[in-house]
Amino acid sequence: MPGSDTTETARALKPFSTRSRGPIAAILVVFAVFSTLSVGLSIRSTTGSRHQATVVEVAARQRTLAERYVNDVLLLRAGQAADPAYTADILERSADALLAGGDAPPVNGDDDEITVPRAQGTLLRAQLRQEARLVNDLVGSGSALLGGRSVLSVPFTAHERIATRNPIERLRILAALTSNVSLNTTRTIANKNERHLNNLITLQVALGLAGLLTSLLLGWALIATTRRQTAHFRSLVTSSTDLVAVFGAAGCRYVSESVRQMLGRAESAVLGTAFMRFVHPDDRVALRGALAGGHPHEMTFRLQNGFGEWRHLETHITDLRSDRHVRGVVLNGRDVTERVHLEEELTRQAFHDSLTGIANRALFRDRLDQSLARSARTGDQISVLFVDLDGFKHVNDTLGHDAGDRLLEEIARRFAATIRPSDTLARLGGDEFALLLDGADETLAVDVAERLLYRLATPVSVVGRELSVGASIGIVSHGGGPAASEKLMRHADVAMYAAKEGGGNRHAVFHEDMGRALGELIGLENEIRVGLERGEFSVDYQPQVSLGSRQIVSVEALLRWQSPARGLVPPTRFIPVAEVSGLIEPLGEFVLRESCLQAARWSQELLLDDGFVVWVNVSARQLAAGGFERLVRNALTAAEILPGRLGLEITETAIVADGDVGERAMAELRALHSQGVHLAIDDFGTGFSSLAQLRRFPVDLIKIDRAFVQGIEHDARDEAITTHTVNLAHAIGALALAEGVESEEQLTSIDVLGCDLAQGYLFAHPEPADEVTRRLSDQRRAAKRAAAA
Amino acid sequence: MRPVSFSIATVLVPVAALMGATQAAPAEKSTSHPTDLRAVERDFRISIPRHISSGDLVLTVINKGPDDHELVVIRKGRAGIPLRPDGLTVDEETLEKQGLKQRSLEPGAPGKTRQLRLHLEPGRYVLICNMSGHFLAGMATNLVVR
Repeated sequence: MPGSDTTETARALKPFSTRSRGPIAAILVVFAVFSTLSVGLSIRSTTGSRHQATVVEVAARQRTLAERYVNDVLLLRAGQAADPAYTADILERSADALLAGGDAPPVNGDDDEITVPRAQGTLLRAQLRQEARLVNDLVGSGSALLGGRSVLSVPFTAHERIATRNPIERLRILAALTSNVSLNTTRTIANKNERHLNNLITLQVALGLAGLLTSLLLGWALIATTRRQTAHFRSLVTSSTDLVAVFGAAGCRYVSESVRQMLGRAESAVLGTAFMRFVHPDDRVALRGALAGGHPHEMTFRLQNGFGEWRHLETHITDLRSDRHVRGVVLNGRDVTERVHLEEELTRQAFHDSLTGIANRALFRDRLDQSLARSARTGDQISVLFVDLDGFKHVNDTLGHDAGDRLLEEIARRFAATIRPSDTLARLGGDEFALLLDGADETLAVDVAERLLYRLATPVSVVGRELSVGASIGIVSHGGGPAASEKLMRHADVAMYAAKEGGGNRHAVFHEDMGRALGELIGLENEIRVGLERGEFSVDYQPQVSLGSRQIVSVEALLRWQSPARGLVPPTRFIPVAEVSGLIEPLGEFVLRESCLQAARWSQELLLDDGFVVWVNVSARQLAAGGFERLVRNALTAAEILPGRLGLEITETAIVADGDVGERAMAELRALHSQGVHLAIDDFGTGFSSLAQLRRFPVDLIKIDRAFVQGIEHDARDEAITTHTVNLAHAIGALALAEGVESEEQLTSIDVLGCDLAQGYLFAHPEPADEVTRRLSDQRRAAKRAAAA
Repeated sequence: MRPVSFSIATVLVPVAALMGATQAAPAEKSTSHPTDLRAVERDFRISIPRHISSGDLVLTVINKGPDDHELVVIRKGRAGIPLRPDGLTVDEETLEKQGLKQRSLEPGAPGKTRQLRLHLEPGRYVLICNMSGHFLAGMATNLVVR
């Protein structure tokens, strides 16, 4: 229920402590109000009682005064000393004071006046008014008697109807009535006081009960709050998946129930000193220190659960030893094992090659930095080996990337088995590996390199085929002391290039000269790559002349590089670099396409005779890469020319390759030849071609290397080789072409020896297509003129 | 005097009323139709109808005066009403001995209403207040029962 979840969340977030403050505060306020009321009433009641006491005193003495007044009248009448007027005055003033409030006169001279409040209540005031009237009638009658006037003439104001005519009797009756009403007045006041007292008692009892009830409520509220808080915290602690533990001097004193879920152990099993038994030995010292001193506040340690697994606990440690409620060090722990494993896995992925599982470039670099730092301190030697597999690309291209991956895995396994555990083997990418040998000098590094090559010599079985790859290994040794890892890696790379340039499947140890030469080589490689993208390359054509007709019957396409930085770069300078780096493949494709297009242009301009051929050089690497036949057919199709217009010049080394590569290359060339494409052996005599191979290869032209041609005039061996080569060409049905003909003497010599074609500066330098076009046009026009003549 | 506290009195009054009701029940059986009679007391006189029929009587006495007043019902004899030696109050003891004092109500505070149940045979009666001096100040009235 998503709705109820929201409600629950909102409720749970409200702090319970503030919720209970309201009722407690209300109860305290009520309690304070009751207490104030009670005290106020008590004060008021006490004050009231004190006033009523004075009223009662004055009211009570009126009885006595009434009787005293009668006695004073009778005594004075009998001639004795008495002062009824004084008594009458007190009587009357007291009666007035009782009714209206004010000072009642003292009875004896040395007494103080008594202040009485104004009479309250209808009944009391009626009684006091009646008393005042009776006092008035009494004093009037007494005065009449003493004055010798008729008592009967005195008018009564209090509604009494006294039958007797005896004046003294009348006085006594009036005094009795006055006394009586005074008594009743006193009683009324007393009753009123008693009622007040009762009311006060009732109110105080009620307030007391209310106070008691309030106190009970307050107590109940506090207890409920405390219980709720306790339950809340208990629930938080017990239901939490986090581990809460309290440690004292005797070890673990408390552990929350979550220990069962987290570690699969009972609370009792980890209490006391037992807790430390489950902590990883490597973490015990740190944890003991943290629990003893409360520092550090955050730490992660490993704890063994009931199944023997190490769980990683991220903990927060709080020193509450000074808190009298806890008196211990509190540990709040969270199981972060999954996170730690994930982090480890991510770290492993970040520093390891996903295919082979060995270190990647980043980790290799890190290890190298560490080793160099150590070497700077200790002076220990370090050796670094860069390994680049030879022929791996061909495996990838021909058998697919899966096969390539399996091969890499197997090679990584073999390398790993060859080295020491302390060495670092890494895959830098593609087919490049690196090896860091701590404490190894050059001799040991060379030994390791040879062992690596030895392990590679055994073919690897991949997808049912036995594959052999070699490796070019660059070695650099650092004799100790400070050094930069970049420099070391660059030197190893240079040495590796040197090994590759030296023919591959070998190792080379770095030395400074190599650094300079190959440093430039590597720079050149980058320039070639950039130049190819920027269109700095073009194709020149060198005419080939028929010795019979002296006509241009074919051209050789030659790659030309006009570098903005280096100017015109000779092919002898950049072709080897392109061969080593593999850039020869895109360069070769460029020449092939461009030549076909140019042949098409000349053909469209009707400049070509039927047998005219444009010869294009093909490198061994292009052939080994595979897919060459398709590449050629695509170029022909794109230019829309006949296959017969194209010739491919192949060096001897390209066709003598052993194994699958050589077989496949041969098959592709045969297929192209069968479609009409011409084939030539370039630089014949400099390679290792055997007659047997030549017999299997459909050759149309053999090009005699310039080295033989240029020595033909004065070197009998060159002449003999040339003669035999021409004879050989003719024997297999091919033509012979002499390269590098630069003089008329050379031309005469090769003509005599039977060469069919010649090429060289004597006829033309390699030229741009436009120049060749001009030559072809001239030749065409001359031929037309000759035909016309 | 009322020494009992207010709260307890509050509880006891209904109980006493209940007990009074149960005690009054047999008296009501003997007198089927008591005559209601109203008497008003003031300072210093008593107002009451002059003539009533004999039999059971329920006398409702209201004190409208400012002072407390008693009510004493006395049958008139041949002699006059005797006074006590203080010369201020009626000698109720002598009247009681003579069988003339019928019944009486204790002093009632001003504003109070009280009831007195009595059985009066035909004759002359006098109703008085016997507080000190009240009888002599005029608080007496005659009643003829036929």
